[in-house]
Amino acid sequence: MKRVSQVTVRKRLVTVFILAAIFFIIMSFRLGYVQFVIGDMLTEKAENLWSRDIRLKPERGRILDRNGEALVENVSAPSVSVVPRQIKNPQKTAEQLAEVLNMSVEKAYERVTAKASVQDIKPEGLKLTEEQAIKIQELNLEGVYIAEDSKRHYPHGEFLSHVLGFTGIDNQGLAGIELYYDDKLKGEEGALSFFSDNKGHKLKDIAEIYTPPEDGLDLKLTIDERIQTIIDRELDLAESKYNPDGALAIVMDPDTGEILASDSRPDFHPGNFREVDAEIYNRNLPVWSTYEPGSTFKIITLAASLEEELVDLQEDEFTDPGSIEVGGARLRCWKSGGHGHQTYLEVVQNSCNPGFVTLGEKLGKEKLFSYIKDFGFGQKTGVDLHGEGKGILFDEEDVGPVELATTSFGQGVSVTPIQQVTAVSAAINGGYLYEPYVAKEWLDPVTGEVLEKTEPKVKDQVISEETSKEIRHALESVVAKGTGRGAYVDGYRVGGKTGTAQKVGEDGGYMDNNHIVSFIGFAPADDPEIVVYLAIDNPKNTVQFGGVVAAPIVGTIIEDSLRALDVKERKEGLAKEYQWPDQPKVEVPDLVGLSTKDLQQFLTNLSIDSEGEGEYIIEQSPAAGKMVEQGSTVRIFLSDEKPKNDSNE
Amino acid sequence: MFRQGQRRKKAPDYTLLIVIFMLLLVGVVMVYSSSAIWSSYKFDDAFYYAKRQLLFAFCGLMAMYFIMNVPYQKWREYSNIILIVCFLLLIAVLIPGIGMVRGGARSWIGVGAFSVQPSEFMKIGLIIFLAKLLSDKQKYITSFKKGFVPSLLLVFVPFGLIMLQPDLGTGMVLVVTCFIMIYIAGGRISHFMGLGLLGLVGFAGLIISAPYRISRIKAFLNPWEDPLGDGFQIIQSLYAIGPGGLMGMGLGQSLQKFFYLPEPQTDFIFAILAEELGFIGGTFVILLFFLLMWRGIRVALAAPDLFGSLLALGIIGMVVIQVFINISVVIGLIPVTGITLPFISYGGSSLTLTLLSMGILLNISRYAKI
Repeated sequence: MKRVSQVTVRKRLVTVFILAAIFFIIMSFRLGYVQFVIGDMLTEKAENLWSRDIRLKPERGRILDRNGEALVENVSAPSVSVVPRQIKNPQKTAEQLAEVLNMSVEKAYERVTAKASVQDIKPEGLKLTEEQAIKIQELNLEGVYIAEDSKRHYPHGEFLSHVLGFTGIDNQGLAGIELYYDDKLKGEEGALSFFSDNKGHKLKDIAEIYTPPEDGLDLKLTIDERIQTIIDRELDLAESKYNPDGALAIVMDPDTGEILASDSRPDFHPGNFREVDAEIYNRNLPVWSTYEPGSTFKIITLAASLEEELVDLQEDEFTDPGSIEVGGARLRCWKSGGHGHQTYLEVVQNSCNPGFVTLGEKLGKEKLFSYIKDFGFGQKTGVDLHGEGKGILFDEEDVGPVELATTSFGQGVSVTPIQQVTAVSAAINGGYLYEPYVAKEWLDPVTGEVLEKTEPKVKDQVISEETSKEIRHALESVVAKGTGRGAYVDGYRVGGKTGTAQKVGEDGGYMDNNHIVSFIGFAPADDPEIVVYLAIDNPKNTVQFGGVVAAPIVGTIIEDSLRALDVKERKEGLAKEYQWPDQPKVEVPDLVGLSTKDLQQFLTNLSIDSEGEGEYIIEQSPAAGKMVEQGSTVRIFLSDEKPKNDSNE
Repeated sequence: MFRQGQRRKKAPDYTLLIVIFMLLLVGVVMVYSSSAIWSSYKFDDAFYYAKRQLLFAFCGLMAMYFIMNVPYQKWREYSNIILIVCFLLLIAVLIPGIGMVRGGARSWIGVGAFSVQPSEFMKIGLIIFLAKLLSDKQKYITSFKKGFVPSLLLVFVPFGLIMLQPDLGTGMVLVVTCFIMIYIAGGRISHFMGLGLLGLVGFAGLIISAPYRISRIKAFLNPWEDPLGDGFQIIQSLYAIGPGGLMGMGLGQSLQKFFYLPEPQTDFIFAILAEELGFIGGTFVILLFFLLMWRGIRVALAAPDLFGSLLALGIIGMVVIQVFINISVVIGLIPVTGITLPFISYGGSSLTLTLLSMGILLNISRYAKI
């Protein structure tokens, strides 16, 4: 048996000592790791554990129009919270609270006995009326607190609802501008934090930390409350007169891309958005809806042709036989029998489809589609509103002669209203395509100082100043002499273009007697201040033509808006010439038996006032053959059945 | 009366004595600081624990002073009786009605405040007996049958009794201390390796037999998975240490002692110490324990005989292993194991027994051949 020597014992003692010393070092390193490396993380978590916050709510930023008129403000709406630890008699407290707050006692009991240092009573205890708040205060319940809070108030009611959007129970933005700019509007919650022990008692030796709430910034929109009021009124009138499926209007400053007004029907009150279908508040039609633009789109074809110098409006001429053959298909003009021999300026005035087909053919598909894209179609405009549509263009590979032809007069493409307004603004402002926007300035809520300002953003110059000037002239003549006569305003040189677009039904084909009638107008034509687009979806009790329904409304909007904006009336120049001082009398045509589709050709020098509903005209007044002044009104009566004694057939 | 041994008796190791006094001082101060909130809440007396700790420290010091003057060879003479008494106490504590349950373990015996933990006595009793056994039969130590197995039996019977309470922490201290003693005495490394394998199996068995141990290990690996359950203690401990930083929050400024860290004056007192006194305070205490170990092993090296060496080593090993386990738990190095920090944690049995054993160590230092 081997004896264990004294040396072995000593050696082993030293080994144990060294190993233990190493472990002492490891422990020191680990202590340093906990205190230095992960110390900050642990401190942050620990402070969360120790601190109790009384949340202090910021005031949400107001929304103002461009002149400082409040569109959305805040009103006091107190809320109630409870501190369960301080409630001695939860059952009684719950009963009393439940009565004032219109909630079940069980639910109230649950809240007042919650395991939390401070408990909100949600949602019944939020946004109380003054009356409820006073009642609760009078109850003088221990552990029940009334906290200052606010809710949104809309002094103009349903006004601008789609743009403004609305907020939820916690004042969080849920739609529209309120959502898009929620981060800036909502501000920063503040808190009164104090350290507490694990039983919820405040630790007296440690100072409270007060973090003041930071109120949200006030937002000044590009919207002009006066113009918005005008389109609001006009849309209401149109709604009651035509009982349409929908209606929308946009007003833009063509020199900046600022949206001055935007509205649509059906609308809603932002404070009661739950009372309408989600479809209504989710769809901001001026940016969301996409449909065939119809003739308003001809402005783009015109702009492209002029820019490419393919046509001289005064010199070049075109004879419209009533239809044009393209790729084996026959495309009809809206005027049966055609417009006959015209200059290209008259082609524009008459909105002659075959004439525009020839322009499209001269351009060719590459050029036409390149202009369409340059004008911003087929992509979002980038407006600062939610839910913007892109529209649909033909795939260029799929474009044959027929698709080229229909595109050139606005069929077979699908665009949004905001795209049209932006594109037409570019066509008439000297060629500059702007990015449309509604948020103009961010203001300090206290001082009113401008903290941030949106500068107009030019995306591209798509046509030359020269071409733009020609377009203004051509479109002015459309209003003075052509299909846009209804928009004529004495003193303001209005330019514009009608549009009557067929809607595609569920079966994929065009629907009968169901059109979106529209008009896009601008004024004054020498230096446009505003561009107005108006579209009415399926107006009833009328012939569905843009020139009949939409143009007069746009005329009114332009006149009232320019007066509101203090734009000087134009006395000189072109406008006067279009007054037609020596108008020859015209013969009233025989309209009985015609379809409403054939009616538009007579509208160049007569107005139509229709009654009843249907496709066919069964009676007219005055009778056919009578001589009347140009511009007189002919009353017609409509029916679904063709009159039997039809002599025109 | 003038025997040879006594004539060689010198003064005890003053460095060791100073270290012990400093640790005691830190302990009493920290027991007061960490328990003040809890004891005012529970007993309406901020000094409740501090006063008692001071009393225990005083009794312990008296015992230490007395024992310091008892020649350590006496323990060799009485080792059999001591061991038997310890065994009886350890068995008695398991009997319901005699043993009292605190914190889930039946570890206390006695009446109310005057209660002791027999396992604490067993640790010192076993160290004395093992030191005698190993020094008497050192020639057999390399033999598996005659040396290793009997020593193991001696260790594992009390370990088994302690695990019946159950008290894994104290059991581990006991086993590891005894193993080190056997190793120092000359036990074969190959025997230990075989035992190590067996130990792994046994450890696995222990873990499987008590599901709370699995969840403790899981909580150790990721305490934030169950922050209110098994991860609770280690998270609360780290929340104390982390914010301490370099300098600490200042004596008395702990926030975790405000009912966040449960009973902060016992097992987790080092967390509060690191919170209030920072890295500097924490490493200072670690350094004190290192000095304690150094002086202790120095005594073991210089002891006049093998019994003295093994006894000194056993005593210092017992204290240092307890320090390792406690601090490692608190700083998150190993899973939670309930054990106090010697000299510093609140607790009468623990403190008195520690000081008593320091008395033995100091006495051995008086015979050191340096």
